[in-house]
Amino acid sequence: MALPLSYSLRSLFARRLRTGLTVGVIALVVVAVSLILSLASSLRRTLVSSGDARNLIVMRKGSDNDGSSQLTLQSLQDIRFFEGIARSPEGEPLLSPELVMQPFFIPRTGGRENVLVRGVELMALAVHDDAKIAEGRMFVPSSGEAVVGRGVARRYLGAQLGDQLAFGRNSWKVVGILESGGSSFESEVWVDARELANDAKRVMPYSGFRLRVADGADLEALARRIGDDPRHALEAKRETEYYAEQAEASGQIYVLVVFVALFAGLGAMLGATNTLYAAVQARVAEIGTLRALGFSRAEILRSFVVESLATAALGFVVGGALAIALAAGVSAALGGISWQAETFTTNVIQLRVGAWDLAVAAALSIVIGLVGGFFPARRAANLRPIEALRKA
Amino acid sequence: MMKFAPLIWKNLGRNKLRSVITGIAIAFAVAMVCVLRMLPAALDGMLDSMSAGTRISVHNKAGLTYSLPYAYVNKVRAMHGVVDVATYQWFGGVVDEDKGVQFPNFAVDSDHVAVVFEDWKIDAKALEDFENYRDGALVGTMTMKQQGWKIGDLITLKSTIVPVEAKLRIVGEIERGPFVWFSREYLEQAMLAQGLSFDTTGTLWVRIDDASQVNPLMARIDETFRNSEAETSSETEKAFFSNMMSSAQGYVTILLIVAGVVTLCIVFIAANTASMSVRERVGELAIMKALGFRWRTLFTTLVVEAALLSTVAGAVGVLLSIGATNALRAITAGSASAGPMNAFFVSNAVLVQTLFVAFFIGIVSGAFPAFGASRKSVAQTLREVF
Repeated sequence: MALPLSYSLRSLFARRLRTGLTVGVIALVVVAVSLILSLASSLRRTLVSSGDARNLIVMRKGSDNDGSSQLTLQSLQDIRFFEGIARSPEGEPLLSPELVMQPFFIPRTGGRENVLVRGVELMALAVHDDAKIAEGRMFVPSSGEAVVGRGVARRYLGAQLGDQLAFGRNSWKVVGILESGGSSFESEVWVDARELANDAKRVMPYSGFRLRVADGADLEALARRIGDDPRHALEAKRETEYYAEQAEASGQIYVLVVFVALFAGLGAMLGATNTLYAAVQARVAEIGTLRALGFSRAEILRSFVVESLATAALGFVVGGALAIALAAGVSAALGGISWQAETFTTNVIQLRVGAWDLAVAAALSIVIGLVGGFFPARRAANLRPIEALRKA
Repeated sequence: MMKFAPLIWKNLGRNKLRSVITGIAIAFAVAMVCVLRMLPAALDGMLDSMSAGTRISVHNKAGLTYSLPYAYVNKVRAMHGVVDVATYQWFGGVVDEDKGVQFPNFAVDSDHVAVVFEDWKIDAKALEDFENYRDGALVGTMTMKQQGWKIGDLITLKSTIVPVEAKLRIVGEIERGPFVWFSREYLEQAMLAQGLSFDTTGTLWVRIDDASQVNPLMARIDETFRNSEAETSSETEKAFFSNMMSSAQGYVTILLIVAGVVTLCIVFIAANTASMSVRERVGELAIMKALGFRWRTLFTTLVVEAALLSTVAGAVGVLLSIGATNALRAITAGSASAGPMNAFFVSNAVLVQTLFVAFFIGIVSGAFPAFGASRKSVAQTLREVF
């Protein structure tokens, strides 16, 4: 004969304060773990979604990011008409020469951050075809105009549509807002490459080139040909690979996740154990009666574990909801979390608790419920009915 | 009060399993809070240890990737109150092109760094060699270890920003930091050999004679270059580094929220246990009261019991956190990307604060259920129990 599920659930409601506190502990652990996980996964999502697998990024050999690479005009002219580069309908190579600078911007919350400003030509929108002008229009070259990423517009002063945005040695009129489905282009400002080079007084006009490989062309072979060119020390790699490398920095956050999960998780597990021990103790007579009525040890064990799992599930639901709300709140308050890579470039991340973050937190709560419930449940199951009834 | 010590002790030991479990749970949570709370402290401590009060950084107002005319050096050096100035030019040199830039390397004024960075205690002989040999390099101890170099080694750094390959000889070690310095003169001549002129620099590091004159001097420097082609922005060394890290702010916010959340966790765990113990003892407490013990006395013993448990557990947690930070440092040692993580150290202030918080939590968690129990009359309680 099976003990009904409602027996376990009703037992929880019989001791509201105790159940509430235990649910609270588990919920808080879920909040802690999923918030930190979401920090790592939001950063990863931003970077990994950046770039296009059909694009190559060309930089100076040895540079690990385009902010620290410098290229000459000659190298652009030499590779521009390489075979395998896609062409626009007008026959122009889909190659975007770019200059990256990292001037100071002032966040709404104060301080200063290095924001990536990309000097581009109009071709850039064709090569980075996931980047779209969502509001306003593209800048007109040589007229002191800029388009800013959605994340930049949210986080920094003077970066709204129509504002006059001061950076570098000049100020620029914001004429458009750039969106790219949450990828890192939304943390950038795009202006005319020549204007930016003049403003920055750079000796070499370019940082890198992005190019679209023609359909059917061999991407690897093209990358090798650019890398082996003896006239320039260049290196070409797949754009998606480049951003994946940038995302490796998020690895350090996982160390912290493990720490929090281990310490706070163990604490919660012990808290749950405690509560259930007390529940068993208070119900000795009841358990004795159940045994006398013919319920088996296994049934009682199961029923107590279910009780503990139900507590954990409740904790997960409460904690998950809280974490989602907190993440959104923090993001809104700071205009996005900024993450500065080793390269000094700031990525503006919209913190969001993802499905995977919740899945990990759910797994942790199940472990807390199972382990925390098992030992008290075993004690309950091992009670001898006669003694239990006598004690009562 | 002391005569109640045995009673409190017995009560704690009455349900040993529960006391131990609660203790361990609190200890883990306290350890967590300690580790998280130490991050901002670690950052601040790192900044303090990195900077001197008499050094100013001057860079282009537009940003660190914008250059300054090299001629600014002489103007600043001539200012009253300035002891010396050394320039820093980012070189972006790599040893192995496949590995990228593994350590920060700069071309510096080799004849001025000795004075400007006097507090770094670089070996005098090394500094002399650095000044005398144009191809000399001073290498940070961290980088020495990472690359397996020793003094006297010949190294080649390929720049990623200028078409120069620097062939250098290591003449000494810089004990702090991963920096590699070589002579600006070497870079200028190498550029000249390529037909490129080189008359700019990145940052000026200014040493002043009187720490109290920092602010007026910074204002004077920025005023001198106002409305020129490259306006400057001066900062104290500490402000410079802390601004470099200002974008860690979001990260720190999240960690502090988590620390707060876990603290709340401790409260719940402790309150849960206290409420269980009091509830079980309601009858007993009523009897003691009937025997003539004052309620105030009983209340105090309950609160002391809870406070004792959480404070002891807090102390264990603090010890645990010291072990944990040591482990964290060991795990992340040598990995440059770990940033502040390998600067985690246990600050006394955080420890004392955390212990105090644990003590306070114990008092609060004990007081609530004890107060609840006191509201019922003796007669009513005894009727319920028997």
